[in-house]
Amino acid sequence: MKPLLMALLLIVCCSHAQAAMRMGDWGMVMNENSTQLPQGCESIENEETLLVKAGREYAKPYPGTIFGYNQHEFSFAKCTRVEVTFINEDDIRHQFMIHGLPSYLHPQGMFHMELYGRGEVRGIFITPNTEQTYLAHCDIAQHTEKGMKAQVKVGGGDGNLPSIPGISGQLNRDSYEFDVGFQNILLLIVLLVLGFSSSLFFFIWHKK
Amino acid sequence: MKKYSVFSLSLSAIILSVIALILYDPFLLYPRFFDYIGMPGYQAPPQSKPKPEVAEVTVCDEQYPEWRKAYNIGGVNIQPSDACNPDNPYEVAAFVLGTNNVIMPVLMRTQLADDAVIKTNDIDGDGDPDDIVIRVEVAELNGRSPDDEGFIPSFDIAPGVQPGAWVFAPKSRGMSTINREEMKANHLLRLPSAPIRVEAGDNVTLILENTHYFPHTIHLHGVDHSYSNNDGVPQTSEKMTMPGEQHVYKIKPRHAGTMMYHCHVQVQVHFMMGLQGLFIVEENKPNNWVQTFNVGAGKVRQPSVAVQESFEQEYDMHYQAIDTALNNLIQTSNDPRQLAKKMNRLYDITDGTDDYFLLNGRSFPYTLRESLVSVEANQHIKMRVLNGTAEVLALHSHGHKATITANDGVDVNPVAQVTRDVYSVSPAQRIDLDLYTKDDGLHSYGEGIWLLHDHAERAITNNGIAPGGNVSQIIYRKYLNKHALPSGEGVDIRPYFSPEYYKGELPTWAASDAFGFFDDAGGKTIKSFSDVLLIIVLGMLMGVLFLLFSALYSLLHDIAVKLKDRQSL
Repeated sequence: MKPLLMALLLIVCCSHAQAAMRMGDWGMVMNENSTQLPQGCESIENEETLLVKAGREYAKPYPGTIFGYNQHEFSFAKCTRVEVTFINEDDIRHQFMIHGLPSYLHPQGMFHMELYGRGEVRGIFITPNTEQTYLAHCDIAQHTEKGMKAQVKVGGGDGNLPSIPGISGQLNRDSYEFDVGFQNILLLIVLLVLGFSSSLFFFIWHKK
Repeated sequence: MKKYSVFSLSLSAIILSVIALILYDPFLLYPRFFDYIGMPGYQAPPQSKPKPEVAEVTVCDEQYPEWRKAYNIGGVNIQPSDACNPDNPYEVAAFVLGTNNVIMPVLMRTQLADDAVIKTNDIDGDGDPDDIVIRVEVAELNGRSPDDEGFIPSFDIAPGVQPGAWVFAPKSRGMSTINREEMKANHLLRLPSAPIRVEAGDNVTLILENTHYFPHTIHLHGVDHSYSNNDGVPQTSEKMTMPGEQHVYKIKPRHAGTMMYHCHVQVQVHFMMGLQGLFIVEENKPNNWVQTFNVGAGKVRQPSVAVQESFEQEYDMHYQAIDTALNNLIQTSNDPRQLAKKMNRLYDITDGTDDYFLLNGRSFPYTLRESLVSVEANQHIKMRVLNGTAEVLALHSHGHKATITANDGVDVNPVAQVTRDVYSVSPAQRIDLDLYTKDDGLHSYGEGIWLLHDHAERAITNNGIAPGGNVSQIIYRKYLNKHALPSGEGVDIRPYFSPEYYKGELPTWAASDAFGFFDDAGGKTIKSFSDVLLIIVLGMLMGVLFLLFSALYSLLHDIAVKLKDRQSL
């Protein structure tokens, strides 16, 4: 009986999700949820708006990135209805996709907004009753890797995700050469001498 | 006393060395030693290593076998396809009709953006649209991730082989990967860059949407186009299209033929990274709805009117080569500044050597999954061949002699057409071939599974291990099994589908070698009396050498002490 119920539930969810899909020559909004309460939420406790701008313009503050969002971290309380306004400022496709959300509300756990070019679209999701950090990104693979990546902290979140521009470091780190400019070398020598003399001083003083 | 012991130690070392040499192989001392001691006794060479365990392999990872049959979607007649993973017929319909002219359920069965191919206005009233807008994006394959050791989105050209690449792809929507758990690229993102088809006389608007992190352009190689802002050459006709920008190319090609498109920025890098594709201008005919993209090249499931008049089937054959020293650079850093330096300034193509050879984006054995030329007797098959490598392609067909009908998109005078079984195709050249499967001892020698490959022998290997490279087959349909794969009379092909084979870990003939004649030989073991003695003698030699060194040390020490004493006096 239980699997049957689950299957029924799935059908209901999926049909709901399809109903929640909007698509056109401008782009699409998929798996939107403005009404269904996440498990453990008594009611919608807050209403918030979120403005996400996407484009290469926002990569400027972070060396080594090409694409970015105007903000790379968003924090919300639990059981909050968030109205996202997504703006694409480039002449190419960009997305704002949140992963890992409850799959009974969002098929594949995904809330997805996509613009095929310059433009603006609105979409709504409700934060679950958890303390979790969710990945939000543009799933054009090289856009994610080159900076279009953010985190959504619900109820304070559960730590940082890796390689969020301006927030956390890479796990698979890039390596850079040592800068051999005058200032850097001078600083290097001064610090080395400082360390060397302090250890000499320590041992001589210790002996006395 | 000390001198005596050093002398005796040295003498022992020499004697022990000679004994060790005699025990190991007296013929090292004197090659004609057997004149004195007679022939050496029989020493059995080591046993073979056990045959390595090979994990169960997937020969055909079929996902939608039902797509192989003929379809009619929205009035588009889609030919059957014998590939293990055939082209998505709904996608073919969307390419033929335009993404603006198909109903939503068809578009939903593809991953195309709504504005990928827009077809409108039958200007000349001949029953097909003449205003065509085509949008292409630039995708990275097997790139580096800042968070994970694996490559994203991953694309295997052969078992376990994932070289970095860039491609032009039809504008898509949604995720790059097939799902969140797997890093595999969705099927629109693949090598080669998708062949593009238009009709002569169409008003074609080709929009490059640069979704990549480097600047790019499109050069319409051989296609009739005006120069200004349209030739794709950054040094002459236009500025580069930077990341996040788009560029509109407007053409109205007057001449039909097999042409090409490629990026003209840092060509020695971008062309070899994969930003090159077939661009085919079809003859202008009534009711000629052409299949705008042929994702993955290979069989064209809806050939143009003119092609269908003379041929039963049409195949796009795009040959490419990969130098991993270039392509895998994108896997060494995630910082575009470092990549630009490594690729444009540190990589030197004049020192480059190709490692992998692709037909339609894959190397053997994966060519068997999707690039078989599957035929029946007495068919005319049109093959459009593009050589996208930096070397001459020597395209050889077993059992058949094909006839050349066009060079670089220009028809060969029928009287001058030649028929041969090795065609040399220069870099960037295109040839159109008519493969005629009539069993007349010239065009075909009869039914069978006949190889089709570049006869420059390095090109039939995957990084030196054969069979690999751009090897494919002309296969008569009765030799296909139910997974649309060849069932031949030769060796078991399954070992070729395991990554270990191309890492060189499997003996080449392991599967057909019941006697184990060619298994890997094992190593030497200590098994005879003289082996034991040899090791003991070597141990003694080590001891003697140790004593010699300690004698040397005490000598030096004594000298140092004497010097010190002299100073203190």
